[in-house]
Amino acid sequence: MTLSTLGYASVIAALLGAVVMAVAGLVGGYRDRPALRDAARRASYFCFFAMSSAMLIMEIALLSHDFSVDYVARVGSRETPAYYTAISLWSSLDGSILFWGWILSGYAAFVAFVRRRGADRLTPFVTATLGIVGIFFFGLLVGPANPFGLVVPAPANGPGPNPLLQNHALMGLHPPLLYLGFVGLSVPFAFAIGALLSGNLEAGWLRDARRWMIAAWAFLSLGIVGGAWWSYEVLGWGGYWAWDPVENASFLPWLTATAFLHSAMVQERRGMLKTWNLSLIICTFLLTLLGTFLTRSGVLDSVHAFTEGVIGPLFLGFIAFVTFTSLLLIVWRSDRLHAKGTLDGVVSRESAFILNNLVFVALTFTVLLGTGFPLIVEAMRSERISVGPPYFNMVATPLALALLFLMGVGPALPWRRMSAERLRRTFWMPTAVGAGVSLVTVALGVRQVYPIITFGLAGFVLATILEEFRKGVSARRRISGGSPVRALLDLFARNGRRYGGYVVHTGIVAIAVALAISGTWKTEREVTLRKGEQVKIAEYTVQFEDVWGREESQRFVVGVTLKTWRGDRYLGEQQPRMNFYQSSQQPIASPAVVTSLTKDLYLTLMAFDSEEREHATIRVIVNPAVAWLWIGGLIVGIGALIAIWPHGRSTYRPELALSLTADLIASPDAEAGPGTDTGATEEEQEQVATRGLEG
Amino acid sequence: MKGATRWLIPLLPVPVLALLAFGLTRSAQVLPSALIGEMAPEFTLQTMEGDSLALSELHGQVIVLNFWASWCIPCREEHPVLARATREYSEGDVRVLGVLYQDDPASAERFMMRYGGDWTTVLDPGSRTAIDFGVYGVPESFFLDTEGKIAHKQIGPLTWSLLRSTVDSLLAASAPGVGS
Amino acid sequence: MKRRRMWMALGLVAIVGALVLLVAGGLRENVVYFLTPTELAARGAEIYDAPLRLGGQVKINTVDWNVDAAELRFVITDGETDVPVLSSGAPPAMFSEGMGVVVEGAYREDGVFRSHNVMVKHSNEYRPPEEGHEAKDLYRSLIIEDGS
Repeated sequence: MTLSTLGYASVIAALLGAVVMAVAGLVGGYRDRPALRDAARRASYFCFFAMSSAMLIMEIALLSHDFSVDYVARVGSRETPAYYTAISLWSSLDGSILFWGWILSGYAAFVAFVRRRGADRLTPFVTATLGIVGIFFFGLLVGPANPFGLVVPAPANGPGPNPLLQNHALMGLHPPLLYLGFVGLSVPFAFAIGALLSGNLEAGWLRDARRWMIAAWAFLSLGIVGGAWWSYEVLGWGGYWAWDPVENASFLPWLTATAFLHSAMVQERRGMLKTWNLSLIICTFLLTLLGTFLTRSGVLDSVHAFTEGVIGPLFLGFIAFVTFTSLLLIVWRSDRLHAKGTLDGVVSRESAFILNNLVFVALTFTVLLGTGFPLIVEAMRSERISVGPPYFNMVATPLALALLFLMGVGPALPWRRMSAERLRRTFWMPTAVGAGVSLVTVALGVRQVYPIITFGLAGFVLATILEEFRKGVSARRRISGGSPVRALLDLFARNGRRYGGYVVHTGIVAIAVALAISGTWKTEREVTLRKGEQVKIAEYTVQFEDVWGREESQRFVVGVTLKTWRGDRYLGEQQPRMNFYQSSQQPIASPAVVTSLTKDLYLTLMAFDSEEREHATIRVIVNPAVAWLWIGGLIVGIGALIAIWPHGRSTYRPELALSLTADLIASPDAEAGPGTDTGATEEEQEQVATRGLEG
Repeated sequence: MKGATRWLIPLLPVPVLALLAFGLTRSAQVLPSALIGEMAPEFTLQTMEGDSLALSELHGQVIVLNFWASWCIPCREEHPVLARATREYSEGDVRVLGVLYQDDPASAERFMMRYGGDWTTVLDPGSRTAIDFGVYGVPESFFLDTEGKIAHKQIGPLTWSLLRSTVDSLLAASAPGVGS
Repeated sequence: MKRRRMWMALGLVAIVGALVLLVAGGLRENVVYFLTPTELAARGAEIYDAPLRLGGQVKINTVDWNVDAAELRFVITDGETDVPVLSSGAPPAMFSEGMGVVVEGAYREDGVFRSHNVMVKHSNEYRPPEEGHEAKDLYRSLIIEDGS
């Protein structure tokens, strides 16, 4: 048995497992047969086992340089270091589909395991939906994207992975995160389809779907920030986001997923937006497929694109299948999707969420339009065009600022409605802080409109968040005493969803501020220096010392040595390099970055004098505040973790809920919610709210 | 949304899907080639056997001009397709002509020995011919009609169905009594 | 209730309208045409100063890189039409005659394409090692090591 045969057999086994998941899940759910439901669950474990063994075999083949395996022959080489060989699993199309399929099977098995007890009608349909998605991906692996093909005779060596992907250690980090996020979005999708199939469209499925959505969303967020970091550290152009189709492909589902995370709360609390939420989940899943389709089939040109056309039509077929099936299901169930609640007040948390959703959808639409516009123009006028980053910046900035504003307003508003008096009391302080920050910014001499607005809004949002924490902490201390820190931890433990959400918001504020600063005050110069010559840019000084060359196992490196100072402080020698790979006509730049919390000094080697070694051309960029992007990303990740952290103890305390219910019944229009924080957790309030609605 | 009309909702995304399908019919990776429909740039080059060959000598046949190299893995993939073309079409109708791209003739010879095939490959020192044809990488193939005009350009490996349909349409167009 | 609905509808129309204007304006100003030299010549004066991408090959014996002025001059050709290019900044590494490039910039009335970005066009997966047998030898020759 060769590795090639074993791997292929594993993939076929996974495909069969997925078929069992789909059939047994559908029939077992529809006919309510426990035996079939168990079969579907076991099939999902089996699928995960089979895909894990396929993954393992591929890793063994890669690391042992078994070039008789087709994928290894295409991306492996004996000179590539072991680390890059191991991660070259996702450096080309079929390998990344294998990785995708493995994660999908892992999610499916995890969902089935977590929900193994209990005989709800939803789980078998969820498993079935994941099985159908699995059939598509495992089918690709069995057919057109088979990485395990046998190469006879086996070549002695291969070309190595795409040089861009073996140039920086970060390549081992952000693709897995992105895949975990992308594939994770199929789980909420499976819950949505499962709920439609089972016909039970009450809020139960939504709560679970939202939890899975937060997990996938967190991975996706970290993946996007990690990708920006990679782009910054590797591509050498001094930026982190270029609105490239591949970047947009990861950003689009992030936008709709974020929209859903907010609108789901409206459905949980008020029984509204049912169809909307289903559509958002389905759109999110479709956008992951669409992004993969656009960038992996050569339809749109991108620096990251793999040039393979065979799977394009299959992907398109699957997209069409998912679209039609989902829409038909929604139409079929439309009589069960009527809203229970109505919009009571224009100034309320639900209306803030609805506005937030409209802006998110508008943003999704504009980014999608910009990404697909070249295709539209070519279809109508057969002209080749591209849409530059200025379009995206111009359109996205005002929408992003609107979102920032809503981020401050929404959480501080109560559900249902709010009196003018209360509005004044809640918002005068944050508004004053925001206005103060803007005024200080102007006083410091800033005249650009967007940074002034961004800083003001950031102050406003941070003030509301701090106020929310202050209220929460003091309420907890009233109930259980203890130190403020203890009360804060208690808040996170008892109501992670809400306070974790605020932590996420804090991270987003950091990112927004970093984007505004680095986008506005970037200084850039390209200089040709002779030996010993210096250049001053902002407070930095760069002195050119030498050009050198060095041979490494898989590449040849040309670098320059530069001495750098910030003011009078010596920052040490920096060595921006160019890496020459055997398989690449073009060298891959390795910029040198000196990071600090305030500013980055970013050095890229553009050209060098190979004969005399007397001069070199260097691009010097001073990038302010970029570090806060990565810090903000980390805060977002931590916040999301707090939000999905399983609650250790039951948070439901009947006596408190009962007393609250009594209040609510006594005055049905009472402003329950954060505005009148009683220290009850959100769950408690929710139970009360549900009772209030039913009673 | 009452009654039967709601069942029309699923048809809304059809235009978007159609646009995507259109996207598949072309490749954004390819620069538009100004050469399509033009006479192929003439060249006279040495074959691997050491003879001299001018492109114009081959006019009157459909030519599959294939730029390749032994170090190129997709070339290995498309090799059987070219071999099949030499088997299934008679020499007088269709000629497969390789142009070696930035490669060592000795390793190219080893490649042909290993994978078989007896069609001619010419050497292109300095890549002059590749530049005339606007070749970006290998494999790239040009289909020339019987008059020597470039009818089609393929970037990336050829498939048998693509080669057959292109060659057959060129043969049909040049058949006496048809089209003239 | 009716009045509120009307206001909400009006607000929505206003927001959507503003968005449409923003998007349409953004697209009109930021579309970059992708042309070959022949297409560029055919367009003539209508295309002066518009943001463009021009794709073709670097013509042999036309590359002139002025270190002190940091100016790169060369001619892009598609086999039929030649367009002279003036680019600021250093040439991309391994930039060489005969290779496929895409330049970003604008075509001026004086018949010279001013470029601010020269991109080497290469297909992603099929890349030749440079002419010569062992690519590493070639790379090594990029830097002549003292005493080695």
